[in-house]
Amino acid sequence: MLQATKKWIFQKIGSVIMVPFMIWFLINIISIFSGSYDEVINFFTSQPSKILFSIFIVSMFFYSALSISEIFEDYIKHENAKKYANLGVFLSSLIIPIITIITIIYL
Amino acid sequence: MKDNNPISPHIQIYNWHISSLVSISHRITGVLNYLLLILVCFWVISLMFGPENYQYFKIFSKSIVGKFFIIGFIWSYIFQILSEIRHWFWDMGYGFELKTTKITGVLVILGSFTLTIVLYLFNGVLI
Repeated sequence: MLQATKKWIFQKIGSVIMVPFMIWFLINIISIFSGSYDEVINFFTSQPSKILFSIFIVSMFFYSALSISEIFEDYIKHENAKKYANLGVFLSSLIIPIITIITIIYL
Repeated sequence: MKDNNPISPHIQIYNWHISSLVSISHRITGVLNYLLLILVCFWVISLMFGPENYQYFKIFSKSIVGKFFIIGFIWSYIFQILSEIRHWFWDMGYGFELKTTKITGVLVILGSFTLTIVLYLFNGVLI
């Protein structure tokens, strides 16, 4: 299988997983955004929102990293610049969700 | 030779159509949603600093800028969801006719604004 085909399949799997969690997060974000500190803490530390939010950010970072690399592929001509841009997105998509999930666990 | 390979033509070359507007907006909101997700993660991480420091965020969330931010956030996410669903139908082989692409494009644009208003105004009822 071609590398591009594999990437496309992963992107589609990512989007199918991500969309329901995006809808769930959107329904909740407005109230927690303007909520008190205790309300926000309660939302992120109680189940099922703790696990749902974790899956949401992992799936969305996964999908976004693949999608943004497509944009880099289309608009960045220089191979080195493309390589470092992809590396930056890949690392941030790995490190930020890990730190966020660890934070939620220890809140 | 490798450096002379063509890359995608830039958007200003094409005449604007609904399809091109939705297509470029899909990419822009994709990048925007990624950046917004990073902000959401920083927001969650900032909870570690305690309730005293959270007051600064409360002031922001209650302000006009904060309200504009959350409405923009909702719109960008809803647009991405609707546009992604449109892509799913394409992936299954449906909706490639010119008329259909225009209709689904308009539905994505109008749907994103309508659902943003509905979600924002009726949020208290939804949850």
